[in-house]
Amino acid sequence: MTDALVPLFLTLKIAVTATMIVLFAGVACAYVLGRYSFWGSQIIDAICTLPMVMPPTVLGYYLLVAFGRRGWLGSWLEDSLGIQLIFTWQGAVIASASVAFPLVYRAARASLGGVDHHLENAARVLGAGEAKVFFRVSLPLAWRGVFAGTMLAFARAMGEFGATLMIAGSIPGKTQTISIAIYEAVQAGQDSTANFLVLLTSLVCVCILAASGKLLQRQF
Amino acid sequence: MPRLQLIFSLGLLLAVTGSVAADELLVSAAASLTDAFKSIGAEFERAHPGDKVVFNFAASDVLVKQIAEGAPVDIFASADEEAMDKAVKGKLIVATTKFNFAGNRLVLAVPRDSPLRLSKLEDLNANAVRRIAISQPATVPAGRYAKAVLDQGRLWGVLQERFIYTQNVRQTLDYLARGEVDAGFVYATDAALMKEKVRVALEVTTTRPVAYPIAVTTASKNARLAREFIDLVKSGAGQSILQKFGFTKP
Amino acid sequence: MKLDVQMRMSLKAEDRLFQLDVAFQSAKNLIVIFGPSGAGKSVTFQAIAGLIEPDQGRIVLDGRVLFDSASGVNLAARERNVGYVFQDYALFPHLTVARNVAFPMQHCIWNGDAGAAAVQEFLRKFDLADLGASYPRQLSGGQRQRVALARALIRKPDILLLDEPLAALDPVLRGKTRGELLKLQQSFAVPMVVITHDPADVEAFAEDLIVFDMGKVARQISVDATNRSAQLRDVLGLD
Repeated sequence: MTDALVPLFLTLKIAVTATMIVLFAGVACAYVLGRYSFWGSQIIDAICTLPMVMPPTVLGYYLLVAFGRRGWLGSWLEDSLGIQLIFTWQGAVIASASVAFPLVYRAARASLGGVDHHLENAARVLGAGEAKVFFRVSLPLAWRGVFAGTMLAFARAMGEFGATLMIAGSIPGKTQTISIAIYEAVQAGQDSTANFLVLLTSLVCVCILAASGKLLQRQF
Repeated sequence: MPRLQLIFSLGLLLAVTGSVAADELLVSAAASLTDAFKSIGAEFERAHPGDKVVFNFAASDVLVKQIAEGAPVDIFASADEEAMDKAVKGKLIVATTKFNFAGNRLVLAVPRDSPLRLSKLEDLNANAVRRIAISQPATVPAGRYAKAVLDQGRLWGVLQERFIYTQNVRQTLDYLARGEVDAGFVYATDAALMKEKVRVALEVTTTRPVAYPIAVTTASKNARLAREFIDLVKSGAGQSILQKFGFTKP
Repeated sequence: MKLDVQMRMSLKAEDRLFQLDVAFQSAKNLIVIFGPSGAGKSVTFQAIAGLIEPDQGRIVLDGRVLFDSASGVNLAARERNVGYVFQDYALFPHLTVARNVAFPMQHCIWNGDAGAAAVQEFLRKFDLADLGASYPRQLSGGQRQRVALARALIRKPDILLLDEPLAALDPVLRGKTRGELLKLQQSFAVPMVVITHDPADVEAFAEDLIVFDMGKVARQISVDATNRSAQLRDVLGLD
């Protein structure tokens, strides 16, 4: 049964990495797009939201075309940095991060936008630079929404299947995430393995939800 | 969750087929038969005006699982006998209708512009070969054929690290066409479809012949029409279509 | 200390266009800006503080140019050293009273122990010594106002802007607070500009009275110590 734990740890590794990435990227984009309006900001906002409404296989296809060995991004990465993302766990991270990004982005936009701008102005008048305003006033007051979005992003990253299958394949130990392992176990008629994996995943998800619920309960 | 996936694909199947009318056949066939069977299907509809043939292509074992879960399939054509045996064991097909209708050759293919020169399977051990696409042996006949040969040559364990497992033989072909892998195991018929992007490096002598069995399902509501389809597959017309695509005689 | 304000600004509110065209100067220590709501008083404050940028104008405080559209000068709010007490106090709900007051201090939250002591001393001055660890939501209206004042004054601003400082207090407290504000002005020696629409505030505070009406300065009156009521009577429409 320890064999069955491999996809779980791999999935956790991928999901945690992807979530960290989208947390920073999502909050940063939300901050920039919320604060500055410039020509094209609407379009960028739409692009930031797009992976959420796009079918994962479509997204997977775009990622494959972009990051594949002959893709415009993939070939550049390989030629100049010697990096290949297809069929690697890093590629799986990109797939998960892509689908999870809009969840943090939208939550951060809403939360940061909801902070009373009088408070932000008060901070400015009190001598705070924009960084201090963001980190000491805006973000602390918006953290709940951002956190909730991040939990959703993590769950989405854990369950990513379609795009991951396309760009990372299914390599046991490297890119065979738990969703893919379950899918393949079912297809191969290994129902007991599938059942075990499903149970394990459900347990992990419930624990994470419970832990995050507890965190949200605490008052600031 | 896995049940849900299956139910979902079943639901999709039903949506696609609607309520299978009396004059409509649902054929579940191995992915490698995609082009040849579509052609045969068109031929069938010409010969039986008013009747329709609808196809569902996937890895053979996946098809068995779908039928086992109640997919309203009339005909099952698999790429190896092992998958058909699973169907027989599950009492999913009418054994008397089972018939090997075609053969194929397994080949080791490379992207067309690959600098690799592979003359025997052992050459896969070279440093330049970093990624080898092979279909999941647990669910895909092409993977099983390849694994059997590699096991025989004691190469399976050695090459493990480099395998990229695919869900079906067409996905292997796609990876080759895109240049994402250095080599891959596909059927000669698949490689022939993508001559501009994929090149056959060598033909693989399989441990047992590549055989395609076909049968009518026990749950079929159009058994009579289904048998007529199989007759067409067996007939001279059907066989010549298969050979046109590169399949060999059974 | 001289405050020199001249500014023009167009503001869109819903479907109306609001034109602000304001000019006044004062060297007094207690300036009152008086007028009905919607006359543009708070907007003027925001412009002085650097939170909004007028379309055209010049704002000079004690010889320092805070804003000059002609020469392209527009100091960021944080550099203007203007103290501002907002109408709703704008206390940071997620920080304790002590941390609210210490917020303007440069390095982290405390400047080591010396910083903590300085903040505590300041709290004492504002009669908040026991409330350092409380949160704004636990305080009364009067206490919140004192926190806002302490926070605005801890950096020794060049001028203190108070937007309707007494509006949220009950009448009894108002009288007491007026006296405290006057004392604060004296002890900190910081000029104060007060926005109000309460004539009683005008009477208590004004050394210079600037009357706003519909985005313009209607009149400016210098009020000396003697006979205040008489001088203000006709302006305020008191009997």
